Amino acid sequence: MSDASNARPAAGRSLAIGLGLAVVGAVGTYVGLTAFTADDGWWKYAVVAVAIVFVYNGLQRACRAVFGPTFQFGLWLSIVWMGLIVSGAVFADLLPLAESRDVSKALLEPIDLRPNLFSRHPLGTDGQGLDILGGILYGGRVSLAIGVGAIVIGVAVGMLLGVSAGHYRGWLDRTISFVTDSMLAFPPLVFLLAVVAAFNPTIVTVTLALAVLAIPTYIRLARANTLVHAQREFVLAARALGERDRSIVWRELVPNVALPVASFSVLLVAAFIVAEASLSFLGLSVTRPNPTWGNMIAAAQDDFRTIPHGVFTPGAVLFMTVLALNRIGDAARLRWDPREAKV
Amino acid sequence: MWKVIGLKLAKTIPVMFVVSLATFFLLDAIPGDPAVTVAGANADPAMLAEIRAELGLDRPLVERYFDWLGGAVQGDFGRQLLDPRLPVSTVVRAALPVTLQLSVMAMIIAPLLAIPAAMVSASRPGEGPDRVASTTAFAVIAIPSFLLALLVIHMFVFNHGLTQWALIALLAVGVVYLADRLRRAARRYPPGARGPFVARRGVALAVGAAVVVGLIWVLPDFPRQGWVRLTSDDGLAENLRSAFLPALTLAAMEAAVWMRILRGDLITTLQEDFILAARAKGMPRWRILTFDALRPSSFSLITVLGVSLGRLIGGTVIVEQIFNLPGMGTLMVRSIRAKDVPVVQSAVLLIAVIYVLVNAAVDVAYAYLDPRIRRGRV
Repeated sequence: MSDASNARPAAGRSLAIGLGLAVVGAVGTYVGLTAFTADDGWWKYAVVAVAIVFVYNGLQRACRAVFGPTFQFGLWLSIVWMGLIVSGAVFADLLPLAESRDVSKALLEPIDLRPNLFSRHPLGTDGQGLDILGGILYGGRVSLAIGVGAIVIGVAVGMLLGVSAGHYRGWLDRTISFVTDSMLAFPPLVFLLAVVAAFNPTIVTVTLALAVLAIPTYIRLARANTLVHAQREFVLAARALGERDRSIVWRELVPNVALPVASFSVLLVAAFIVAEASLSFLGLSVTRPNPTWGNMIAAAQDDFRTIPHGVFTPGAVLFMTVLALNRIGDAARLRWDPREAKV
Repeated sequence: MWKVIGLKLAKTIPVMFVVSLATFFLLDAIPGDPAVTVAGANADPAMLAEIRAELGLDRPLVERYFDWLGGAVQGDFGRQLLDPRLPVSTVVRAALPVTLQLSVMAMIIAPLLAIPAAMVSASRPGEGPDRVASTTAFAVIAIPSFLLALLVIHMFVFNHGLTQWALIALLAVGVVYLADRLRRAARRYPPGARGPFVARRGVALAVGAAVVVGLIWVLPDFPRQGWVRLTSDDGLAENLRSAFLPALTLAAMEAAVWMRILRGDLITTLQEDFILAARAKGMPRWRILTFDALRPSSFSLITVLGVSLGRLIGGTVIVEQIFNLPGMGTLMVRSIRAKDVPVVQSAVLLIAVIYVLVNAAVDVAYAYLDPRIRRGRV
């Protein structure tokens, strides 16, 4: 922290120290992860943990030396991570990955391989010889498609209903609010279980179920924001100029409500990725052999004691993704939600 | 007060009605013939027709709904479709206490983790202990519950000894940090008073550390899975031993949220004038935190407590699955997989009703605690 006040000449030295720390940390992580694979010594964990702290601090130091002391390292790290996950999910078909989806094509592959970054299976294989890295990228595709798809539907429907309720008031508002309250009466996970029980779990049904879960929240947010804006002068002015209701909703209210409401979405995408992973962990979403992060963890759970990396590799990716989305979501709300920005 | 409670309860009735409608009609749409679930795929048509008549499937949907609702209000939920075809109420009565006990235990453990962490963090925001606690909370919030449960198993069951040593190592780091701070604090005292001050604090630190080491040392072995009922011969100790890890998992997730909320409110409270006055009088920091700052800061926490209890009752599904506990979650997942419609309907309805009632109770408690909204609309 103290190097924030240092004068400019110190920046070069700080950069050098930072990069040095990062390199030491990277080497330490690699050694910790690969060199001691023969025995499961506890010090392996310690080496990796310390090395990761080195890398993080080193890179943070280096970035602050280059971009100035207020550089938000954690936020940018999150953005880079999400960039990796998204591009991995988009370009998975083009990458030279080993087979990760069809068991019949992986019959000759060794099973339960440990991670080795310089082999054909950089993150190892699972109990059926399927490639874990490939599974993570294809699983990311499912997670992102479901999470983002549900949010897009939820925002669209929720905002429309919420703004209408807040603008027209009266019986429409009362009906929408009552239905919203009733929908919020279901515990979320129990609602999801009920939906996948009633319809066969596919990407589409899980997305729709999550969208239905998102709608009440967005209705409330949009309604509350609309009530604030409906009192403002520009709405009164529009009305005085003879604009019709529909025009007021679309041209005055929606543009003002959209950003604060949507800024909440990143956090909700994170929650939905967790919800989808939980469902597929229970075997009630996309099922094996199509990989998702949840069902990869569920499949590796049986041999968890002897082969923990089968659980913890997809688990770490899931964790990092949710962490990154939470970090970005907090920043987005600070930036775009006026109520948060005031604090 | 009674009026508030009555109004609130009256308001929950239409919501519960809609919940029951949604539950029934949504789950009635489960694909597949319930009669086939009962009799098996090879049963002859006459037998299937007989079972359909017995289940009332030949009657119109709306009539069946009111039949079901009428039964449910009186505690009669029909029978399981699968063998041994017990009454659903019997099955639920066996499963519900497990889920309730887990939720209550989590609600007891979570504040024990959250409140001290928040107090330590808020007393010196931005310093080492706060950074560690805040980062940990932020990370725990990002861990999905099934992953946290597997992590807990990995640590406390599979690597029990290693975890003990790791905890002791963490404690050693903490003791070194506190000792260093004690050394610096001692410099503020004149040389004559330094000795007694250091001795008093040093003894307290040593005793505290010894107690924690002792606790870590007697950390029992926990079972990987399974549930020992309170009524079984092994009694309370075994019951708690089998329930501790799942409850800890649930508690950790809630505690992380609470810690962040309470920390924020405490930091706000600590900037108030009455805290400054207490400090000016020479009150020690821990005393101000415990007796002056905690109570006025706990308001948002109490709101969240109720939400958490509701979420726990609906959210033990995953933890029950992983630890193989015979609670409502396991019952629901198993029945969904077997397409045992009456059990799923009843379980969903029951959990939703409990959820609604808990939330209503929280609103009432809120009105009781905050006089400002007592007279307003509830």
